[in-house]
Amino acid sequence: MTPLDQLLLLSALTVVVPLFTGNRRITGPLATLLYTGQGLLLLRMAGLGYGSETPVSSAVSLQVLGLELHWRFDALSWFFALITIGAGLLSSWFASGEWAQRYRDSGSSLRLFHAALALNVFTMLVLLASGELLSLFIGWELVSWASFLMMSLGSNTALRYAMRYVTYAFAGAMAVLMGLVLVYTRTGSFEFQAFRDAVPSMDADTVWLLFGLFAAGFGVKMALLPFHLWQAKAYAETPGPGAAFLGAISSRMGLFAMIVVLVQIIGVARLVELPVPFTFLSGRDLLAWVAVFTIIFPTFTALRQHDARRLLAWHGIGQGGYMLLGILIADDLGSAGGLMHVFNHATYQAVLFMSVTAVIHRTGTSDLNKLGGLVARMPLSFLAMLIGIIGLAGLPPMNGFVSKWLVYRALILEGSPLLFLGAVIGTLGTILSVYKLIHNTFLGQLRLEHVDIEEAPSSMLWPMMILSTVVFVTGYFPGLVLDWIASVQAAVGLPVLAHHLGGVHIDKGGLDMIWVVSVLLAGFGVGALVFLSGNRSKRVHQLDNYAGGHFLTADTRYQYSDNFYPGLMHLIGPWYRKSFRWLEGGFVSTVDTVSQLMQGLYRHTHPAFYLLAVVVFALSWVMGGD
Amino acid sequence: MNELVLMVALPLLTAFLLPVIDRLSSLAARWIGPLVLLLTAIIGLSAWSQTGSGAITIELGNFRPPLGIDLYVDQLALLFALAVTLGTLLLWPAEGEQRLRQSTLALLLAGSGSGLALSGDLFNIYVLYELIAVVSYGLAASRGTAAGQAATLRYLIVSAFGAALALAGIALVYQATGTLNLAQLAQLAPTQLNNGQGLAAFVLMLVGFGVKAELFPVNTWVPEVYATAPARVAGLLAGVVSKLALLIIVRLLILLFPQPEALTVMLVLGILGVLTGELAAWRARDFNRMLAFSSIGQLGIMFIAFSIPGKAGVFAGLAVALHHLVVKPALFLLAQRWGGSLEHLAGVAKGSPLAAALFILLALSLIGVPPLPGFWAKLLVMIHLLEQQSSLYALGAWIIMAGAALEANYLFRVASSFYRREAAATPPAAHRTGDLAGASLLGAALAAAVFLIVPLADRIEAMAGQAADRDHYIQTVNPEPLP
Amino acid sequence: MDTIIILYTGAFGLIFIGIAGIVLSRHLVRIIFAIGLLEAGANLLLLLATWRDGASAPIIVGGRVPALMADPVPQALVLTAIVIGVGILALALSLALRVQHAWGTLDMRAIRLRLEEEIDDAAGIEPPTSADAPAPRPTAPATREGGA
Repeated sequence: MTPLDQLLLLSALTVVVPLFTGNRRITGPLATLLYTGQGLLLLRMAGLGYGSETPVSSAVSLQVLGLELHWRFDALSWFFALITIGAGLLSSWFASGEWAQRYRDSGSSLRLFHAALALNVFTMLVLLASGELLSLFIGWELVSWASFLMMSLGSNTALRYAMRYVTYAFAGAMAVLMGLVLVYTRTGSFEFQAFRDAVPSMDADTVWLLFGLFAAGFGVKMALLPFHLWQAKAYAETPGPGAAFLGAISSRMGLFAMIVVLVQIIGVARLVELPVPFTFLSGRDLLAWVAVFTIIFPTFTALRQHDARRLLAWHGIGQGGYMLLGILIADDLGSAGGLMHVFNHATYQAVLFMSVTAVIHRTGTSDLNKLGGLVARMPLSFLAMLIGIIGLAGLPPMNGFVSKWLVYRALILEGSPLLFLGAVIGTLGTILSVYKLIHNTFLGQLRLEHVDIEEAPSSMLWPMMILSTVVFVTGYFPGLVLDWIASVQAAVGLPVLAHHLGGVHIDKGGLDMIWVVSVLLAGFGVGALVFLSGNRSKRVHQLDNYAGGHFLTADTRYQYSDNFYPGLMHLIGPWYRKSFRWLEGGFVSTVDTVSQLMQGLYRHTHPAFYLLAVVVFALSWVMGGD
Repeated sequence: MNELVLMVALPLLTAFLLPVIDRLSSLAARWIGPLVLLLTAIIGLSAWSQTGSGAITIELGNFRPPLGIDLYVDQLALLFALAVTLGTLLLWPAEGEQRLRQSTLALLLAGSGSGLALSGDLFNIYVLYELIAVVSYGLAASRGTAAGQAATLRYLIVSAFGAALALAGIALVYQATGTLNLAQLAQLAPTQLNNGQGLAAFVLMLVGFGVKAELFPVNTWVPEVYATAPARVAGLLAGVVSKLALLIIVRLLILLFPQPEALTVMLVLGILGVLTGELAAWRARDFNRMLAFSSIGQLGIMFIAFSIPGKAGVFAGLAVALHHLVVKPALFLLAQRWGGSLEHLAGVAKGSPLAAALFILLALSLIGVPPLPGFWAKLLVMIHLLEQQSSLYALGAWIIMAGAALEANYLFRVASSFYRREAAATPPAAHRTGDLAGASLLGAALAAAVFLIVPLADRIEAMAGQAADRDHYIQTVNPEPLP
Repeated sequence: MDTIIILYTGAFGLIFIGIAGIVLSRHLVRIIFAIGLLEAGANLLLLLATWRDGASAPIIVGGRVPALMADPVPQALVLTAIVIGVGILALALSLALRVQHAWGTLDMRAIRLRLEEEIDDAAGIEPPTSADAPAPRPTAPATREGGA
């Protein structure tokens, strides 16, 4: 039994255990313990992450219909597995204490939640371990249905959007399957190597077809435009810790599959050679532009949300665009940025979802128009969210800055100013909306009904604090993550990024985060010294204030946070046209019309008429063909 | 060896004796039907191992073919004979006041179905097919409602039409060859039927036997009958009888009609079946008709699969057919209580969690989600379709994919409504133990197949190889040459 | 030779009339009769498959074998087919009678509409409603004689 088998076995055990322990209090801690075990087993394979070990294969292999299925872990799988298990561990921890009690009391099944979470982790590990195209597809489907299970645990809205997800995901899976079978008929094998060997001899049309099928199929999971409509609400309405897990890693499985098929096998160089007819663009550019629009549109949709969870979920879609963009540049800087963003995004997105869930746990709402001033009551949750949004916005000193910097740098060096501009516009929207998020939740006036609430329970705070620390530390010392990235790049066949603990060194200006953050902290330190030594401040109550000559009482609303950014919305509001919804609706009604027609066929008074038509057609064709 | 004849004779005999037995003891009349079917199933199973190495032939009355009538028993035929016996047993439709009459009909169905699967000449095939048709009219109308009778009447018109066409096709074949024995026809086919007349005969028989196999466009009866007949009868017709008709068509295709055009006709009709069936099912608003349209689509996939030339096509088609044979009856067993508007099914998972879980398992397999058996069947079809390197076959593959995506949508629309928080105003009654047990049994078989997929695939491949081998058929029967 | 052409014409003619009858009629009894004609045509075609002019019945009387015998196989098949056909016609007519008693019509179109309504009713599906929908379709007239 190889370490990989042990890991998968333990992961499967984690699915089974909650089914037996059921709704008892012990389920959460037990599951957390099992995830820790998985993490330790993964660390036994840490050689993969540092490029000092050859891929670990599983001892299990199957021969079905003459097709061989096998599984293995390489650096890429290890990197994604690390994020997956980490997200599973912290989400399950988060879901262990008071949250679990509340969840159980509301009549929901804790057993099902933990089993679904563990099933997600397990199926993802199976997908990450896939050793050829067929096991990749099987893993892909398993992941899709496992996340469907997770989403359908939520509210009716979540169920509705999960349904939408199933439709999109299964249609995408069918596209992928079509691609696989096409590859099989060309090469006679599902092995990655056989596919890679066959690519150079394929003509442009075939590669276009495969590229389209795979990009669309995997793009559904990543919620690339125009397949993005399902994701935000489905994720947002999933039970809190589940949303943190899904938001952190679930869609990245699409990216993983895309890296395997488009980058590792077909190769970005081949995509660059594919011309888009009648334009000067290549297949790579096309997908890069899709990625940029995936950054821009969902980010600005997020700006309009007034539900904290939906706002975050829309950002999750947008951030996926950065990752894909970085990887499509395919040089050492860009791909490192894209890959690193996967890790960074998982950390800060999880911490943000957790912090919002903590707020919901205490206040019962995530409506940004009904919150405010919670910093006085939940300071640690505030700190977690602060660190999270700095990461999400891509500002120093958090880790999101590093990965975005790498992507920007690569775009500039490669000479794609328009793509760069698009990415920057997206970042602008991000900064605006995360400010809205933290302001409306934690800053401003504390509402009367929230005066008595307490800080989140420790079972929630611990995961949040751990994640915040990770966000900060990997921002301070990005080399910790870049070590893994470098071995991933080597495994995938991309140019390897030369790096050091503080960042990267390149001729035209590198990045050393140790310097950047130290200077920043020093600046803060000086500011703090000035602030404290002046000793001119006095702590007062929020209502120790007056407006218009009147003293304020607790029920006075002197600070409004709803209808945020009215000026901006006045400016860009008309641009929100819901075109994608319209597109989707149009497609659905087309299908509806056609199927009405088909039902009509079966309703006709004289079915024999069709029979006659066919017989006559067939006979005349026979006579003609004779 | 000759005890296999009992698979046909015993149910038929019991069916005719049933009224007499009922006079003597109504308890005996109630139990003798299932017992006889069980017995015939055991006979069939005990003969299973004999057919592994090669097919066997049974000459009735010891007259040599072509003058004598023979039963041809290869693994495929035996499997379908067993399927019809066990399927009838599992979906035993007799209940209520009409118990006796329905028992008789069910026994007739099992006997003539086994006979149809095993028979080795066109004459018997025609007669037994007609017998099954008559039995299915009786069963379809057995609810006694006017709607059921009207639907049966419309079914009867299409079916009688098809039967007449099939008879005309048989006439054309006989005129060209002067024999009705399948083995002898297979000998003569390359010289005598490989022409326009042969193709015309095939098209006539395809359309004729296609009525039961839900072939487009002679499947207009399907939604009406499945909606008005008892759900168990619908399960029998969709699950078992349709496959029998398909088996006949495939046999004829392998043995009699070597023309590539014959395959093309089947492919085109199959594609149309998938298109119309899946699209119509997408819009269906009640459970029964959704299942009915979906089974039209699935049968379309089988026609597409069987239209792939050679052993590959038989293998792929057989895999899909066997999968559907397990899934559809189980779904119709669930329809016994869940028939009716889909809106009434909101929130039923709370009351009947097992049934809801079963539905999800069956639906997942039906749309082909790995690692369930439906996936492997679909994968097989896809691979062999695209290996043909022809645009028409590739179109078939694309249509199957699109159909599966649609199917995922409508099946899971229903499945997710089971779990809605607010329940329907008038939730359906809980399933009866018998229905649920039957469906669970089939579901368990499906789940077990996940782990047995490797040996199963080997068996089916061997079976397909045996069935697709024309020379083997001729040598086994070894008919005397015509004077 | 002339006989056989006439006979073939008759067979195909019967099949054609049968199909035309099924397709063009709305009255159930006419459709059922058309099925009978179609079957007769198919049976005739089968008999003609091995037609030998002037052949005698394949019966050996007193050890004397006739010089030219008709092929007995299609005759046996046709005999069976006729029996089955009669049975099905009887079944069809009895079903038609039941439907006529229940719904008072033998018009195929009316039956189809009624059938669809009944299925929807039994399933509990209400017809789609909308404020802008046209007035409901009048139900088909139920005449004793049927709508022919």
